[in-house]
Amino acid sequence: MSEGYSILVDTSKCTACRGCQIACKQWNGLPGTQTKNEGTYENPVDLSADTWKILRYSEGTVPSGAPFWYFFSEQCRHCLSPGCMAESEKGEIVQDEKTGAVLFTLKTKSLNYDATREGCPYDIPRQNPKTKELFKCTMCFDRITNNMIPACVKSCPTGAMVFGERPEILDAAKARVQELSKKYPNAKAINPDEVRVIYIVTDDPKKYWKFAAGK
Amino acid sequence: MGSNAAANHPISMKWVQKAKDNGGILISVDPRYTQTSTKADIYAPLRSGTDIPFLGGMIKYILDNEKYFKDYVVNYTNASFIVGPKFDFQDGLFAGYDPKTRSYDKTFWAFEREQDDRVKRDDTLQDPRCVYQLLKKHYSRYTPELVSSITGTPVPDLLKVYEAYASTGTKDKAGTIMYAMGWTQHTVGVQNIRTMCMIQLLLGNMGIAGGGVNALRGEANVQGSTDQGLLFHILPGYLAYPRANQANMEAYLKAITPKTAEPMSANWPQNLPKYFVSLMKTFWGDKATKENDFGYGWLPKLDAGQNCSWLNLFDAMYEGKIKGFFAWGQNPACSGANAHKVRQALGKLDWLVNLNIFDNETGSFWKGPGIDPKKIKTEVFMLPCAASVEKEGSISNSGRWAQWRYKAVDAPGMAKPDGDILVELFDKIRALYKKDGKFPEPILNLKWDYVDAKGHFDPHNVAKEINGYFLKDVKIGETEYKKGTPVPGFALLQADGSTSSGNWIYSQSYNAAGNNMARRKKDDPTGLGLYPEWSWAWPVNRRIIYNRASTDLNGQPWNPKRALLKWEEGKEVDGKKQPGKWVGDIPDGPWPPMSDTKAGRYPFIMKPDGLASIFGPGLVDGPFPEHYEPLECPVPKNALSSQFTNPTIKIFSGSMDKHLTCDPRFPFVGTTYRVTEHWQTGIMTRWQPWLIEAQPQMFVEMSEELAKLRGIKNGEKVKVSSVRGELEAVAIVTTRFRPFKIGDVTVHEVGMPWCFGWMTPKNGGESVNLLTPNVGDPNTMIPESKAFMVNVTKMEGGA
Amino acid sequence: MTVSRREFLVISGVAGAGLALSSLGIDMGPVKAYAQELKKIDKMKSAKQSTTICPYCAVGCGLICSTDTKAKTIINIEGDPDHPINEGALCAKGASLFQTTSNNSDRLKKVLYRAPGSDKWQEKSWEWALGEIAKRVKATRDGNFIEKNAKGETVNRVEAIAHIGSAALDNEELWPLQAMMRALGLVYIEHQARI
Repeated sequence: MSEGYSILVDTSKCTACRGCQIACKQWNGLPGTQTKNEGTYENPVDLSADTWKILRYSEGTVPSGAPFWYFFSEQCRHCLSPGCMAESEKGEIVQDEKTGAVLFTLKTKSLNYDATREGCPYDIPRQNPKTKELFKCTMCFDRITNNMIPACVKSCPTGAMVFGERPEILDAAKARVQELSKKYPNAKAINPDEVRVIYIVTDDPKKYWKFAAGK
Repeated sequence: MGSNAAANHPISMKWVQKAKDNGGILISVDPRYTQTSTKADIYAPLRSGTDIPFLGGMIKYILDNEKYFKDYVVNYTNASFIVGPKFDFQDGLFAGYDPKTRSYDKTFWAFEREQDDRVKRDDTLQDPRCVYQLLKKHYSRYTPELVSSITGTPVPDLLKVYEAYASTGTKDKAGTIMYAMGWTQHTVGVQNIRTMCMIQLLLGNMGIAGGGVNALRGEANVQGSTDQGLLFHILPGYLAYPRANQANMEAYLKAITPKTAEPMSANWPQNLPKYFVSLMKTFWGDKATKENDFGYGWLPKLDAGQNCSWLNLFDAMYEGKIKGFFAWGQNPACSGANAHKVRQALGKLDWLVNLNIFDNETGSFWKGPGIDPKKIKTEVFMLPCAASVEKEGSISNSGRWAQWRYKAVDAPGMAKPDGDILVELFDKIRALYKKDGKFPEPILNLKWDYVDAKGHFDPHNVAKEINGYFLKDVKIGETEYKKGTPVPGFALLQADGSTSSGNWIYSQSYNAAGNNMARRKKDDPTGLGLYPEWSWAWPVNRRIIYNRASTDLNGQPWNPKRALLKWEEGKEVDGKKQPGKWVGDIPDGPWPPMSDTKAGRYPFIMKPDGLASIFGPGLVDGPFPEHYEPLECPVPKNALSSQFTNPTIKIFSGSMDKHLTCDPRFPFVGTTYRVTEHWQTGIMTRWQPWLIEAQPQMFVEMSEELAKLRGIKNGEKVKVSSVRGELEAVAIVTTRFRPFKIGDVTVHEVGMPWCFGWMTPKNGGESVNLLTPNVGDPNTMIPESKAFMVNVTKMEGGA
Repeated sequence: MTVSRREFLVISGVAGAGLALSSLGIDMGPVKAYAQELKKIDKMKSAKQSTTICPYCAVGCGLICSTDTKAKTIINIEGDPDHPINEGALCAKGASLFQTTSNNSDRLKKVLYRAPGSDKWQEKSWEWALGEIAKRVKATRDGNFIEKNAKGETVNRVEAIAHIGSAALDNEELWPLQAMMRALGLVYIEHQARI
């Protein structure tokens, strides 16, 4: 347990059932916000203080001319060296040693939001405009310290999301990429040595989301 | 094909993914590249309404390339049956068609019989009039090139699908089909499904683990509601509904009980009289006696041929013939095809009783858009009911598992469980009829004691009545059963009034062993995912129906690695051979395998002749599926024959029953589907902030090519219209729809979800059923919501 | 059914995340991002758990409701990890089941009646509503009862009243519902399966 936890997000198995997006709302009691259809299934169209887990959809055509529709179920990467913490000098943002979870506390309201957000390679932190506090995925800290798995992971039907101890997840990522490479030569795990939430993709990460592999 | 499981039955994809992890191949055939398609190994597009050519081409492929499972086909299907000489098929019509009545005389399709009335067979499958040869002849026309010109599927894609799927015709491979409304909601809906059944039979995929023709049901308990007979044409347990020309019970039972001359056919339906009488004893209790035909006369009778199904129901309502209406947990103002007609029809009622957990477009139809409440005389009662977690009872899923669920909390405010509401309502009605009224007997004689000691509706009480009881002390075989004890299962139900059972197929669900539907044991002895002690499945906890077909004639599994069922010979004890038995799933009857030509039985025990139907002479539109275009289609003729549309469909011709085919005013194929975030009309999900946030507005998906044609940009509001209505939708311009090449013509198709309605959210959009046609399949009358013609234009009215 | 919570959601470990956070030397004023969760996870530990089956698509997934027995409200609904079909997973709709409960203020909680020509609802009692419905059922039935058809065959049916619904009801509600409608003589009996 010394290396903490990790989450594997294998986009090749994601069916966009949106269980994860809703499960996060349900567990954390986050409100549903007002949205409109912007020409996509994606909604909300961005993370916010009220949306910590979001299904990003992207579509186009592959070289053969066939369509593609990629699903990228985004959340905070819980980096090993969190860029957001550069601004945090008084414990506004903490990193739990045991689990590795990176947590925004109430004190984040006193941080420079723009700088904090700028410091995150994945553009994750979001601010509540009224209270000025910052919000993001908590790795379901309360659940994982109570013998439960994160709500999003539990919700996932196809095993696209898996939660476990970091060494096992890293091994699983490696094995899956190897398997996928037979059919998808560009398959890769995104920055596995830097993040705890490791995404596996079968194509250029930018095709999924502009910041999928970092800014 | 015929479904989009990833979107609409999302958790089923857990098991599809597992199959893929084990080397399984997922094939997705859909007009649109869907969520399911993203996980598919093979994707093939097809124009909505052309599934029969697609599958007919597969039948041709299977036969031409001899991919069928011969032993299975010869022994378990009617492929060897000889069809009588009157049978014929010419230019889209089978023999026996009467254009005046738009119906067939099915005697033209009858089998040829021996002197002893057994069907004539040729097990070598050579006789030109045997089903196999007729099948080959029928689908010889469905060449890949012709199929491609109808479906718009490129020939290489067709062949890829055919080759992959036909490879499951071997003993060690299984193939399954997950289908849903993509197949049922067509004027050829039943024949769509029939084509796939025939393919599964040719490949030996029926009755085996990983096989079957699997309907993904649409609502949590639509399986149960169908089982319990909430359709005009069936009583609980699928007993045919009695007709006026069946003047007494004897006439009725004679009509519904099939006979067979086939000695090795179990012909299980020969037992239907036992189930009907037991049902009548549950209906009327002690009041049903032999002398009064067990209360048969108290059941209302349909005229012979009378059809009271949905489309006819709303037509009658529109004509003012229906005065009172219960919309009990349903929202027809948004779910009914040609919804303008439905909404107008509601305004003709004297009274409407609407039960739901949320306000909805049906109960509030009188204040809907374009309706002036002052002009609507309908009295409306809106009764608040309990949500699923606020009451106790069972629901049956797509796998026939009746699962018990529990009450977590009381319903809020004045809301009550539907069980309580119906008990209290009927009590009040009975009280009125105790004083006076027309033909009060059925009302007063109905057994109506489904309450507990405190007078509340008691689901356990009902569940036990559905299971059934011995009504007096009886001895069956060597065993004695006491009056008032539950029947162990339907095999013990009697036709003499000594037993009761509300629904024979649910008999065993709640017997002396307790509430079998509430079981939670995770044992899985076969390792095939049957979980025989988790809840309870009808019939008699058999998890895979027709499982005797999973074994050879000696009862040994075709695929020993996936042994669903296996016959074990009895051992010799003291010089006497003990009876053998089946191990694995609950077998389709205890009889030995077919190799025992005396005591053995054919596997398809619910078919009178014991064998599965490749030739199906019982459907109204033909014994073999044949392609006909949807009522509204984009082409001027049917490429396969002169018969443009299904020659047996009912076409309504009232002022609200407009339809228009192959017309430049509505040049695009329109189809409808669901989304993961909403459910059905959305009347439960549109009230939920998390779900409406994720999927807030009505949209229309269209190809980039069509968007260019109309000058439409992604995300802009557009108008979609059919000859029946119009609505606004946000355009989703996507690569996932591509134009189809149909012959020489480019055909565009667009798709819309049917989960929106005017009630909520504001600016959410209207129901796509304002556009759909009220025409249905001739066997089921399920509306053709999947293929009709629309126009799409920019809001300014350009192009 | 009150089953030991250990069987379903096995929530163990230290009491709340608060302890873990304080061990990091953080000032434990209410950490708002977690205040709700802390309350929630602690509430979960004393909640009554019950099982249910999802009311949506008929795959038949299992869920666990956690009920605060003091407040008599459901505080959490998530997947049942022991259920062989979903093994704890849920799609968007199942995951959102919480919003079908009384936690959703839009739930219908009153008996409503709309009079002819009116543009609004009136609140009524169950006694009144069911009594009035019963009267109308009787009046419409008796006034339009068909004893014999055109052929002179006895039919004893009512075509002036129709019923649709519901695939959302339990089996044990459905059976008496069809019995009641048939005893009344209805033949227009349909529901979702037909569309």
